[in-house]
Amino acid sequence: MSTEAKPPAQPEAPLEPGKFGQFLKEHGISTNRLPDSCGVETITISADDLHQALKLLRSSQETKLDLLITVSGVDNNDTIDAVYHLWSYYNNDELVLKVMTPKASIPEGKLPEVPSISNFWSAANWHERETYDLAGVRFTGHPYPRRILNPWDWEGHPLRRDYKQPADDLNSKHKVSFR
Amino acid sequence: MATELVKTEDFRTDDLRTDEMIINMGPQHPATHGVLRLILTLDGEKVKHVEPILGHLHRAQEWQGQNRTWFQYQALIDRVDYLSGMFTSWAMARSCEQLDGITVPPRAEYLRVMVAEMNRISSHLLWLGTYLIDLGAMFGFPFYPFREREKLLDLFEEISGQRMMFNYIRIGGVHRDPKAEWFQKVRKFTEEFPQRVDEYEAIVTENPIFLKRTKGVGILKQSVAKDYGVTGPCIRCSGIPLDLRRTKPYSVYPELKFDVITYDKEGDTWDRYMARILEMRQSNEIIKQCLDMIPAGEIMGKKQMAGMRIKAGEGFAAVESPRGIIGCYVTSTGGEKPFRFRWRNPSFCNLSVLSELLVGSPIADIMAIFGSIDVILPDVDR
Repeated sequence: MSTEAKPPAQPEAPLEPGKFGQFLKEHGISTNRLPDSCGVETITISADDLHQALKLLRSSQETKLDLLITVSGVDNNDTIDAVYHLWSYYNNDELVLKVMTPKASIPEGKLPEVPSISNFWSAANWHERETYDLAGVRFTGHPYPRRILNPWDWEGHPLRRDYKQPADDLNSKHKVSFR
Repeated sequence: MATELVKTEDFRTDDLRTDEMIINMGPQHPATHGVLRLILTLDGEKVKHVEPILGHLHRAQEWQGQNRTWFQYQALIDRVDYLSGMFTSWAMARSCEQLDGITVPPRAEYLRVMVAEMNRISSHLLWLGTYLIDLGAMFGFPFYPFREREKLLDLFEEISGQRMMFNYIRIGGVHRDPKAEWFQKVRKFTEEFPQRVDEYEAIVTENPIFLKRTKGVGILKQSVAKDYGVTGPCIRCSGIPLDLRRTKPYSVYPELKFDVITYDKEGDTWDRYMARILEMRQSNEIIKQCLDMIPAGEIMGKKQMAGMRIKAGEGFAAVESPRGIIGCYVTSTGGEKPFRFRWRNPSFCNLSVLSELLVGSPIADIMAIFGSIDVILPDVDR
C-alpha cells in the first residue's frame, strides 16, 4: 500500500556479529545478524542449528540465557518466522533468535517445519502449540502437537495474512434474517 | 440377633478391582478463576495426570492487534488481564514508546507507578478473598479485602472513569490528570491500609486449618520453575529474586525504595501467600513515596490522535505485573495498523507448571495449589 512507510532497507554489507553471534560462531554455528530490535541483539539461525544453539546458550557459563520468554510466530509477507525471545534469570542479557522460512520454499498446502525444543525446555511446550495453532508453524518432535487456543478441529491459522474467517451468522449473507 | 460391626482389618481386599478414573474439573467451576477445563486422571484421591484444556476464553486479541488501529487497540488490551489492566496497558505503552522514541514526562511516570501499585494491591486483595473461598472458608471472609478494594475502585473511577477496564495508561503518558483531592484520598488510604492488612493476617496467617492446608503443599522446585519459565511471586518464592522493578528497572522505580520479597528456599503454598501479603505492604510504601515525590508538569509526551502511527521497527518491553512478567513484542511497518502484536502473559506460562505440581497430590490440594499460582484465565487465553 502506498501509504505505508517501508521498513528500513537491508544494509549493504552483513552486520558485525554481536556478543551472542560471536559466541555461537566460536562453537561452530553460523548466524546472520539483523538490525537490533530496540537495543537487543537479533540474529537469525537455520532450523538445523536451533537445538544445539539453544542448548549452548542456555547452559554455558558465559551466556546463561535460561528464561525462555516466548516463542512467537510471525507472518512477514515473504517469510514465516519462529521468533524466540531469551532472557536470563541471573543477569540482564537479552537475545532475539529467529528461524525464518521463506514462503517460496514451503510446498503447497504444507506448513513450515522447525524442530521443537520442548523435549529439553518445557517452557516451550505450550508456546509452540500456540504458534502452531495461530501462525501455522509445525514443530517436529513435539510431544503433544495439538491446537491449544482454538478447538482441536479448527481449520486455518488465524494470524496468517491470507486467513479467511469461517462463514457464520455474523458475516455471511443470508436472505432471511431474524430481524 | 444384633449384627456385629465388621472390623476394617477383616475386609477382604483380594477381590477389589481398582481402576483409574478420568474426571473433568469442568469449564464451569467456581474456583478456577475463569473458564478452565482440567482433565484429571485419578487413582482414588490422588492425581496421576492432569491436562488443562484452554481456549474457552480465546478472544483473538493477537488477531485484533493486526486488524485494529493503534488508537483502537489500546482500549482492547485492558480486558486481557482484567484484574491488572494497568500493567497490560503499560507493557503496550512501553513497547510502542520504545519504538517511536517518545519520552514520557516525569509526572506521567509517577502517576503510572502510583496507579499500577494501587492496581497491584487491588489484584492481590481479590486473590486473597477468592483464595480463601477456594479453600472452603465461605464465612464471608472475602468481604474484608473487598472493603479495601471498593475504596481503590472508587479512586480508579475518579481518575479514569472506569472501575476495572481503565484504558488510562496510553502510549506517551496517561489519559487524565487527577484533581488535588484525589491525592489526599490516596494518602488517607495508604495511612489506613497497613492496619487492615494486619486484620487479614490475624484471621489467616496463623490459622491452624489454613496452615494444615497450605504448609508443605505444592512445593515448587527451583529447577522445575526455571524450566517452565515461571515468573512473578512464584519464582521469587523458589529462590530466584527476579523482579523487573529491581533487575531491569523502568519508569521511576530506580528512585523508589522498596524490598523485593523473595525466599531463599523451595517455596510451598504458604510462602506464596505470605509473599503476596508482604508485596501489598511494599506497594503501600511505594505509593506513599510517589505521593511525596510527584512533580508538576504535563502528562502526555505525544498528543494522541485517532490515526496515530508508530515508526517502523520491532521491539519487546515488559513490566512486572502481580502475576509475573507481562511482555509485549510489537512489530510495526509504520502503517496505520500494527503489523504484529505478540503478548507474553504470565498466567499462560505459570499455568503450564500445574501439570508438574499436581501429580501425586490429593484432590483437595488441587485448589490450594492452583489458587496459589494466581492465574487469571482471560490472561491465559487472550
